[in-house]
Amino acid sequence: MPSPSADALQLSVELASGKHSLVLANPVMAASGTFSYGVEYAKVFDIQRLGAIVSKTTTLRPHAGSPPGRRIDETPAGMLNSIGLQNIGIDKLLRDLAPAWSRWRVPVVVSILGAAVDEYGACAARLEGVAGIAGLELNISSPNARRGGMEFGQDAATAAAVTASVVRACTLPVIVKLTPNVGDIAAIARAVVDAGADALCVVNTLQAMSIDARARRPNITRTFAGLSGPAIKPVALRMVWQVASAVSVPIIGCGGIVDGIDAVEFLLAGATAVQVGTATFRNPRAPLDVLEGIEAYMRAEGVADVRELVGAARA
Amino acid sequence: MNIGYATVVESERLYGETWITWFRAPELARGAYPGQFLMLRCSDDASYGCGSRAGARADDPLLPRPMSYHRLRDGAGGAEWCLLYDVVGRGTAWLAGRRPGDRVYAWGPLGRGYEVGHASHNLLLVAGGIGVAPLVWLADDAVSRGLNVTMVIGGRSAAQIFPSALLPKEVEVVVTTDDGSSGRAGFVTEPFGELLEWCDQAFACGPNAMFAAMAAVARKARVRRSVQVLLEERMGCGTGICYGCAVEVRLRGGRTMKLVCKDGPRFDVRDVW
Repeated sequence: MPSPSADALQLSVELASGKHSLVLANPVMAASGTFSYGVEYAKVFDIQRLGAIVSKTTTLRPHAGSPPGRRIDETPAGMLNSIGLQNIGIDKLLRDLAPAWSRWRVPVVVSILGAAVDEYGACAARLEGVAGIAGLELNISSPNARRGGMEFGQDAATAAAVTASVVRACTLPVIVKLTPNVGDIAAIARAVVDAGADALCVVNTLQAMSIDARARRPNITRTFAGLSGPAIKPVALRMVWQVASAVSVPIIGCGGIVDGIDAVEFLLAGATAVQVGTATFRNPRAPLDVLEGIEAYMRAEGVADVRELVGAARA
Repeated sequence: MNIGYATVVESERLYGETWITWFRAPELARGAYPGQFLMLRCSDDASYGCGSRAGARADDPLLPRPMSYHRLRDGAGGAEWCLLYDVVGRGTAWLAGRRPGDRVYAWGPLGRGYEVGHASHNLLLVAGGIGVAPLVWLADDAVSRGLNVTMVIGGRSAAQIFPSALLPKEVEVVVTTDDGSSGRAGFVTEPFGELLEWCDQAFACGPNAMFAAMAAVARKARVRRSVQVLLEERMGCGTGICYGCAVEVRLRGGRTMKLVCKDGPRFDVRDVW
């Protein structure tokens, strides 16, 4: 088998083409909500080597998130979060962060969420044409939003309406992040692709809970939360496979990826790129380690172009 | 903040069920000051750049643990730092099982620690249970700078009380225990109230119920003193990324959400209680 050197590896992938072009230098993205706005870890390691960074989900106005109390819990090989979308709001993002992003080599995708369908379009309009913003990711999948989020992503018509409102409002590449908390994820995927989504991220957290047996109370103050981490990887992998069977746009695999082999498994299931989320809490360098792990796999297996792996387990 | 592996130098049960573990990794304490903390991954991972899966990978327990620096010293290979902890769950049980030479993945220093004002000469330190951990370093540091330190150390019983002999001899120690098995019977709030007027600043670490009681005492006191407390909260990342450790504080009349890991863990007790 040929053994391509590091320089010879072709890692670039395309998530959107034409006027919405979004090309990544490699398939590894930092997932929304696990990398804040990128500036914190920019001081700690070379984040410019990543394929892309997805910002913390941002709403039109700042949001205080879930009320005081327990927001996170640890579960077997996983974690629960009920942050409730605490964020700085679009104005501060535009003023304080976009200028920094415009000097970065790594593309930044802004994750947005609205309490109403047309609020997504309103967010998108504010972000259109801003230097430093490479694309949008629509959060119609957070189980922790009081309004919007998962409730929009559980209904095909509403999911399509949200996507259409954004596609109308801007020319940015649009990724839609899907929720696993549905009966038929392929139907939702088809609806948002028909509405104009350039790419899909599969998946957000699984709705879940934990209980303190001694206190006889739920651990999380708001009772329900989103489960993430290695515990959900097999579910995410299955859903990437199903979505890849249903649509032809690029898919970003997300759910429990910790190392390069995890990432390769998602590519083999049909993903074009991956997002690394909860692993970053365990290891701030996790997205870079995943990238290096993919490179090591390609060298060991004689894979010259990462795109050869996409869907290869489906043949 | 730096990321890397810390090597265990020594580890032992120091008193009761409380452990002390010393580490060598000077870069993980560079620039640190009392009240700051690190995040430690408490599971067996031989490698973290693990594309080949050559090393063992553990996904459980998943989240790193926030731990305050307990003390610093000069070791043979440079600065060494240590942690003082009770074994209360899977993370601390794992930590207590480490032996000299074992490596622990960690990052720090993190957060905002105690701030000793330039005009402060008399420092009152109030420790509840394992909350003594960060205050010992503050005491070491203050004594070395010629400040007066009185330390109130409280616990349920004698087995929970940090040995006074391990503190600098200049530190005035007042011990309280719930059951009266050591020092005064009762809570730390009583000596805290008596000594508040003596001090220029007070610093505390312990359970939230202790902070609430201290806030009530401080409010009723004839004199106003700054009382800095270190809050503890479940954390995902320790670096202000995950927003898991939010706490509501009073700020300019209103209430606002702050992150314990990034905006704290040091807060003024009256801003929270």
